[in-house]
Order: sequence, then C-alpha cells, then structure tokens
Amino acid sequence: MIALRDAILELIADLRGAEVRISVAESLDAMRAVAAIGIERGPLREALAAALIKEEADRAIFDETFSRRFGSSRPDYSDSHRSRGERAGLHGASGGPSESPMPDAPRAQPDEEAPVGLAPPRKPSSPERDVPERITPNEEPAPKDRRDGSASDTRDESSPNDDSDSAADEGQAGSAEESSAAGGEATAGEVDSPGIEAGRAAALRTIERTPFANYSDIEFVAARDALAALKRRFRIRVSRRMRLAGSGRIDFRRTIRASLQHGGALGDLRFRSRRPRHLDLLILADISGSVKYASTLMLEIVAGAASCFRRVRSFVYIDRLAEAGFEEGHLAMTPPLDLYARSDFGSVLKELWNRHAALISRATVIVIMGDGRNNRRPARADLLRELARLSRAVLWLIPEPQARWNTGDSAIRQYARECSALIPCENLRELERALIRVT
Amino acid sequence: MDLTQEFVADGLRRAHYITNERVETAVFLALALEKPLLIEGPAGAGKTEVAKVVAELLNTELIRLQCYEGLDEARALYEWNYQKQLLRLQADEHQGLRWEELSDHLFSREYLLERPLLRAISAPRKVVLLIDEIDKADEEFEAFLLELLSDFQVSVPELGTVRAHERPAVVLTSNRARELSDALRRRCLHLFIDFPGIEQERRIIELKVPGLDQRLASAAARMVNAMRKLDLRKPPSIAETLDWARALVRLGIKELDTPSIRATLGVLLKHEDDRVRVEGKVAGLATRPR
Repeated sequence: MIALRDAILELIADLRGAEVRISVAESLDAMRAVAAIGIERGPLREALAAALIKEEADRAIFDETFSRRFGSSRPDYSDSHRSRGERAGLHGASGGPSESPMPDAPRAQPDEEAPVGLAPPRKPSSPERDVPERITPNEEPAPKDRRDGSASDTRDESSPNDDSDSAADEGQAGSAEESSAAGGEATAGEVDSPGIEAGRAAALRTIERTPFANYSDIEFVAARDALAALKRRFRIRVSRRMRLAGSGRIDFRRTIRASLQHGGALGDLRFRSRRPRHLDLLILADISGSVKYASTLMLEIVAGAASCFRRVRSFVYIDRLAEAGFEEGHLAMTPPLDLYARSDFGSVLKELWNRHAALISRATVIVIMGDGRNNRRPARADLLRELARLSRAVLWLIPEPQARWNTGDSAIRQYARECSALIPCENLRELERALIRVT
Repeated sequence: MDLTQEFVADGLRRAHYITNERVETAVFLALALEKPLLIEGPAGAGKTEVAKVVAELLNTELIRLQCYEGLDEARALYEWNYQKQLLRLQADEHQGLRWEELSDHLFSREYLLERPLLRAISAPRKVVLLIDEIDKADEEFEAFLLELLSDFQVSVPELGTVRAHERPAVVLTSNRARELSDALRRRCLHLFIDFPGIEQERRIIELKVPGLDQRLASAAARMVNAMRKLDLRKPPSIAETLDWARALVRLGIKELDTPSIRATLGVLLKHEDDRVRVEGKVAGLATRPR
C-alpha cells in the first residue's frame, strides 16, 4: 500500500507539473477515495479523477498521466457507457481479460502492507484473467476489452472520437439485438465519442492559455472556433452586473402604506428598486501586425455583449482611426486602414480628440488594446489625460509579455500615467478577466 | 444498508438511470466519503436526475435549492417569521414580560422559517440536498456555501451553531454559465456528465419510449448526436430526444427521412437560427452512411 501511496503521490506531482492545480486537501481526498474504492484499475482511475480533477478540460491530461503511471491504456469509453451490471454480464460471457469489476473485490485498507498491485482473485475462466487488472505502476499498457476477437474490437482500438459511423455500427446493432434477445442488455463495442462537450471544453482550455504572442493564423482560427463559449460567458457576466438589482433601499412611503393592512405593524418591508447602471464603452484596438489577433478577438467578444451596455463604439487603429464592426463574423472597418502603415497612437489620439470627443462622457469607459509602440513618434499622452478627465475610466489592455513593456519604442510608461489601470492580457483567459474589469 | 459500489450501480440501474462507471464511481465516493458532488455538464444531460436517483437509492427525501441570481441567506438558509413575531409581541404586550423572557420566546425555533439548507442540516435522518444550478447564484452566495459544505454546520446568531445530525448527501449542479471558484471546487468531488454517445442514447430511448422501433431509435440517436456536433446555440438535450422519439411514435413515422425530420425539427431545436442551420444539413445527416 505504501508503494501505491507513493505512486499516487507521483501521479499528483506529475499532474501539478502539467499545470493542473491540486491542493493538499484534494490529495488527501484522493487517498481516501482509493481506500474506499479498491485497487481495480477502472474504478481507481475514476476515483482519482473525481477527487483530483475539477475541470473537465484537465481530464485528458489526467488520463494520459494515469496511463503512464499505472500502465493502462486510455479509458475505454465504449465500455464505459455500459452500466456495471451489464459489463459484468458481458465479461462473464467473454472470458478474456477485462476491467470487469468483481462483486467481491476487497476494498484497499490504508494500513495494509500488501505490495502494490495485488488484485483480488478473479473467476478462473482463463489463466491470464487474474493478472491484467492489478495496479502495478509503470507496467505496460493492459490489453483492451475484447469479445472473442470480434470485429468490434478493432473499432475499440480506433479513436473514440471517430464519428464516421461506419459499417461496424450495423454489426454493433446486430450484436446488441442478439445480446438483448439472449436476455442481457450488453452491447458490443460501441464507438461513442468520449463526449462532445468535454472535447469542446478541452479545446477551449488549450486555446485560452496560448499566448497571443505565439498565435499564427491557425491558432487564431482555433480561438475563433472556441470563442462562442467565451462570448456567452462574458455576456452573462456583464448582463448580471448591469441589470436591475432585486432591491435597493427601504421605501418608507410604500412600507407605511403596506403596514396599514396590519394595523400599523411594519410587517411587510418594501424596497426601492435599484436603477440600472448605464455604461458606455469606447474601444480603441490596435490592429497592426503585433497585436492584431488579440484586438480582433476582443472586438468580437465585446460585440457579442453590446446589448448589455448603453452604447458601444469600437474603433481600430494603426496610424489613424477607423470605425469597426462585425459583418458575418468578419471585422469590417470604415474607412479601410493601410495594414502596412507604421503605428502612431499619438495621431490616433489627436484624431479621436478632434473628431469624436463628443462621444465621451462621465459614463464612458475607454478601453484601449495595444502595445503602446509608437515608432518613436510623439506619444501625445497629454491628449490621453484630457480624455481620461472627460471619461469614467481609461483601461489599457496589453497583449505583450510583461517583460517587454517599456522596451524599445514602447511609450507605455507615458500612457500608463494617464490610465486608470494597465491590465496585462497575454492570452484569451486574461483577456476575459480584463474585460470583466470594465464593468 | 451496506454501501458498496455494486449497491450504487444496481440502485442507479433500478432507477432506470442508464449510466457509466464514471458516474457510478463518483456517486459511490460522494456517499462513502460524505463529500459534496459537483456535477457539471451541458443543460439536459441528466445532472439533476442524479440527485433524484440518489434520493431514490437511499430511500430518503430530496431537498432542492434552486439557485438564481440574487438568492441570499434568507431564501436559502432561514428567516425569522417577522409577522408571527409581531403578532406574538402584540399578544404579550399587556403581560408585563421582561425583555429576556420575551426574546427567549421570540427567537425560538417556533418563529424560525427553515429554508432548504437548514432543513437539510437539521433533518433527523440522512437526506439528499440538491443545490441546483449553482452557477446561476451570485459569487457571494457561493462563498457563503463554503462553511456549510466543509463542516456541515451553520450559525444562527440567536440560536447558536446548528450541526448536521446526519450529514446530507449534497449534489451541486452547474451548467458552467460562469466559472465556479476554486474554493468550492476543492470541497467537492467532481463529475462531468456529457451528452450520451449514440449507443447509450439509443438504450435510453428504448427504455423510455418502448413503442419506438429499434432501428428508428438507432437512427434517432445517430441523428441527434450529429446535430450536437454542429455547435448549435442550444444542442438538443436528452429530454428533447425523448420528446422527439415520442413525437415519431405519435405521428406513426416508420422511416427517418428528410421530410419527416424537417416536420418534427421543432421538437428538438428551440432556436430559429439553429433550426435554419440544421434544416440546411438535414439531407446530409439523414443519408449519412451507417
């Protein structure tokens, strides 16, 4: 048991190394879970996952790490869709090595000094049946569940994500019917995917953590694919903060009027409703090569929540301003900008001040996305100060790694003095957090 | 009652909850370790049903707290029955009671309105507490839950600390409308319930809509699975699949072809843009090679 404990601790260390956050309390939970569940591989995997993995997006990392540590192949999702009783029936018929749980499987005892991997004796239907399911750290991957070499076995080996429901499904249905007819509910190897939503969650997590600095068009496309969930989350969050609150201060007049029904006893307190918050957004997004991906994604997220604000005006810039909008999911700017021009935020501020200053009021939050690199042209931080004076707040979101701030032609130090906050947003996750701060 | 994983698996099966090892293990551990179980997943995947099935399994009461924005302690934990206290006060007015006597009286359990959390904690036997859609509640309420979920006790200033006689089996569900805090996640075992795969959904359909032809059930499950992959605004849930299956039975449809799918699409999809999107692909989905 000590060896198993060590193996679990090593598993936890590996997971932490892969940036899965696991607290000490969760490690203890994992130990208790193992003590309760026993040492059969299938239930052990699920028990450790339930105790250690609190984000479905981390599940793939867990499965891979578990397989490496405990020598099991990936979880058999096809098998996992059958209930325990059904599996028991199925395996009883097959006689091959399996993850079949034994009804009489003993529970692991925390104080037990038995060596790791001593599995309970199994039904002696085949010589190797006693061996493969015991837990032995670092052993070779165990063979998968088989049904006497039927065609469906080979499908189990293929990607569980395979949605090309090929001819084997017919056989599957057939064998399912046969099994049912034989009195059991067992079905042959299914080809169900491990989960549509789980796959999406994993994809979202990966792209959320990829730094904008590492983006190419491929990552950008992936980010846009994953953006729907993020946009929904942001919209809900913002609308909650901006919506009418349930109740505000006590309304004495209505409370006293209501108390007349109870002989003057103030039994029924009445409250004023709170006023909705009015917030205008003015977005300035740099779409020059260095930060274009971050800017486009930000504009798209904000566009999805535009109805939650009183007014949203979005501008993109390089060396001058252009109004931005989304048409059929694509960024459109009016007038078009020269994408090869050299960044000049000083002139952009001047243009904003001369032509659009009327848009700014005390209800306006100005959000700027850019790296503050001005090609050594005048920064015109004085204009930003004037804009900050007119507005509620100026937030500057920087997609550049923090180590590069104030280096080379960056004028961010001059701008920072005039901003309410300078917020790093190196990836999608940080961008979402930064945008929530707007409200 | 001997709590084993087999007992849980059999119980879930008896309650007609078609499931997998992941769910069985998580439910068993939540009961064995007396830890709250946080279930996440898309809407309509059967998260709430787990709590109902666990209550059935334990043959006990299910106490449900439906979360919503603005939910506070008064609605979730307890509230003093203000009107009743006032009436009592008026009735006692002329008896010349001292304040100590009066307050002992007024702040007793008789005047306490127990809300779901307090009811679950003070129940004389083990109950199942379902905190449904915790992501809809405010972050402040989530923070308030932390003490309850770790120590199974709450403090009522006038009465003192109320500790659970029997720790309730707690199930929390979330549709991930917002991220839950790490503190809450840490206190719970985690389970993600995704939409079922084709084969599992076929078995659910066969179990719940026995009148549907087996081949048609397979085709329906396959169709719904393909729709879920289209990244719709609201992918069809299991309940909607079952409604669709019932609709097919009711309409006497024997073959799942393009016209019959188009005619019944409203049962599965509840947003016009989703419907338009799927309608354009129905032919492809219906004639998909098997």
